[in-house]
Amino acid sequence: MSEEKQVKVHVDKVNKSYGDNHVLRDISLDVMDNEVVVMIGPSGSGKSTFLRMLNQLEKPDSGLIEVDGYDISDPKTNINKVRENIGMVFQNFNLFNNYSVIDNITLAPVQLGKMTKAEAEKKAKELLETVGLPDKASAPVSSLSGGQKQRIAIARALAMDPDIMLFDEPTSALDPEVVGDVLDVMKHLAKMGMTMIIVTHEMGFAKQVADRVVFFESGKIQESGTPEQIFTAPKNERLQTFLSKVMQA
Amino acid sequence: MVMKRLKPLLTALVAMLFAAVAVGTSASADSKPNYIISTDATYAPFDFQDKNNNYVGIDMDILKEVAKRNNFTYTLKPMSFNAAAQMVANGQADGIIAGMMINDARKQVYDVSTPYYQSGVAWITKPNSKIKSLSDLKGKTVALKTGTAAAAYGASLKDKYGFKIKYFNDTDTMYNDVVNGNTAATFEDYPVIQYAIKNGMKLEVRNPKNLGNAGGVGFFVKKGENAQLLQQFNTTLAAMKKDGTYDKIINKYLNSKQSTFVGSASDNNTTWGILKSNKNAFFKGLLETAKLTIAGIILASLWGLLLGIMGISESKFWRGLSTTIIYAFRGLPLMVLAFFIYIGLPGVIGVKIPAFTAGLLTLILNEGAYTGAFVRGGFESVDVGQMEAARSLGLTHRQAIWKVIVPQGLKITVPSFVNQFIITLKDTSILSAIGILELTQTGTLIVARNSQGFRVWAIVAVIYLIVITLLTWLSNWLKKKIA
Ligand SMILES: Nc1ncnc2c1ncn2[C@@H]1O[C@H](COP(=O)(O)OP(=O)(O)O)[C@@H](O)[C@H]1O
Ligand SMILES: [Mg+2]
Repeated sequence: MSEEKQVKVHVDKVNKSYGDNHVLRDISLDVMDNEVVVMIGPSGSGKSTFLRMLNQLEKPDSGLIEVDGYDISDPKTNINKVRENIGMVFQNFNLFNNYSVIDNITLAPVQLGKMTKAEAEKKAKELLETVGLPDKASAPVSSLSGGQKQRIAIARALAMDPDIMLFDEPTSALDPEVVGDVLDVMKHLAKMGMTMIIVTHEMGFAKQVADRVVFFESGKIQESGTPEQIFTAPKNERLQTFLSKVMQA
Repeated sequence: MVMKRLKPLLTALVAMLFAAVAVGTSASADSKPNYIISTDATYAPFDFQDKNNNYVGIDMDILKEVAKRNNFTYTLKPMSFNAAAQMVANGQADGIIAGMMINDARKQVYDVSTPYYQSGVAWITKPNSKIKSLSDLKGKTVALKTGTAAAAYGASLKDKYGFKIKYFNDTDTMYNDVVNGNTAATFEDYPVIQYAIKNGMKLEVRNPKNLGNAGGVGFFVKKGENAQLLQQFNTTLAAMKKDGTYDKIINKYLNSKQSTFVGSASDNNTTWGILKSNKNAFFKGLLETAKLTIAGIILASLWGLLLGIMGISESKFWRGLSTTIIYAFRGLPLMVLAFFIYIGLPGVIGVKIPAFTAGLLTLILNEGAYTGAFVRGGFESVDVGQMEAARSLGLTHRQAIWKVIVPQGLKITVPSFVNQFIITLKDTSILSAIGILELTQTGTLIVARNSQGFRVWAIVAVIYLIVITLLTWLSNWLKKKIA
């Protein structure tokens, strides 16, 4: 990465506590344009909290967070504008239960005046094609399987044309046989050059698509490096323990 | 920010209130003075509704004559006795004529006319009762109607004869309490109880030859006000006594056949007869109940929705305000709120509030608070992930609320809404207390005239059940449409 790639996410010495629970300790991390960063680590280590801080679903107690060049801890920054460029995919999909599939996808672009209803619907159909569900446009959310829901959720996030995508354990709530469908969509996005930060336990997937793997433990980044470094030559003792546990399972 | 979206809602709410006020106040436009006179129309033969649902009685005829001879008009406000008296004390009404006894306590608050009737108090038991003299009442309970001359007379004998007292708000309920044996006896103005007994009330006067002296009955205005009206009343009363008009009126009510006012026996002794002879009154009462219910449901739902949305606002101020309003108006009994708005509030703001408006406002505030509470609960029960997903896309809090949370939250609350609609319908009956002539008050007035409590209340109950059934059907249809 010697050539001048743009920094998309700049996090510097961020701290966050819930009461006595010091969840994030002096976290610093830069993510470059087109980079795919996979975050691994035991449950409760602060991965979700970190991810949710990047689009201000949580606020840090201290430290600096810049996304797309905007300092989002500055109250003068219009966080809604910044969020338009950050797509987020949740473990539990969080599709809007009161809308059909296509309305889930078109709601934000239309409400935020990015597109007319017709444009948004055209775009939504293309996205449904991309995620492999072209015939689900008018289906109610409740009729979808988990794997289908997650792919629609990705399409919904993509409808805003984000340049960063955040994934918080997107396959953890899915039946094993449909995990592949979702991962395929994500691989496709990576190939298209999307900047992505992904929390996952899918180690095979991480090896395949990650430019960098970050190991979280006890609210700290204990180690980070290329997939080869992390998976074949882990230095941190806790990482070694973690990997041996995960690989066994 | 949510407030911006609700502005049209609020504007509509306020506009409808003003419309209601306007309808209530646009009564007379001619130049004659118009007085508001309150009364209690359950007090035959002084004040009651005849078979044609006109307000008649000794008081009504005297008042009509005074108005005619002095060239003024008046608007009659019939309601429960205590409320009627309060209306005058607070300046909401100009005068009260309600068979009201003159005493020193009242002279502190009101200016009073010369007595137009000398009340003789009878004491009354069931026929063939073992209670033969007042001494037999020792340890027993006596029924009295609040605020009447007879009640004051009865209460003055309480210690001497060692009985207990149970107070009632309307005459007919009090009589029936004695008929049913719940209380041993009652005290009442002789003409009033005579009227009821002639009408078939199974009671007997114990002292027809030896009536208690309770003093005079007068016309009251607020102390220091309406001196001219009082003066005209006194002068005309004296003139009427001289020219025989007064005797004619008294005679008309005390010595005529009951059917003159009540209608034939067949109109009163069968449920069908009562229903037929009062069909217009029942219909009007039902219409008033329906108007109150429909307007109440719509406006209370809007107000509740507003409270619910305020309750999930980002701003602490709006959330706090919502919580406070819900707390206050859920805590207040409906009747207290109705009296406060109808009788208390005008004294403070200096504007008379028509009964219908006051009743509607009561419903909006009370039912709206309950609605607000369950609407807020419905919104809060929507999974937080829905809000987070909406915000992560860049939608504002307001957009997320209206496009994602409100539709889902409201769907959860549909059964609560249906429930609240039915409660609203039933609660309109409480508004009879401020004299709104809805179904319950209509029943009260008919019973006061014909003493057929069982049949009349059975009719009223059936009408309520029918309307509630219709409302339930309508609500369930709505529920299906929304789901
Ligand atoms: N809203 C919250 N309130 C209190 N504690 C929280 C909250 N969110 C997360 N935590 C705590 O913060 C720690 C890190 O949680 P999280 O970021 O979800 O970890 P991970 O995603 O790595 O499993 C956990 O101990 C969790 O209990
Ligand atoms: Mg997590």
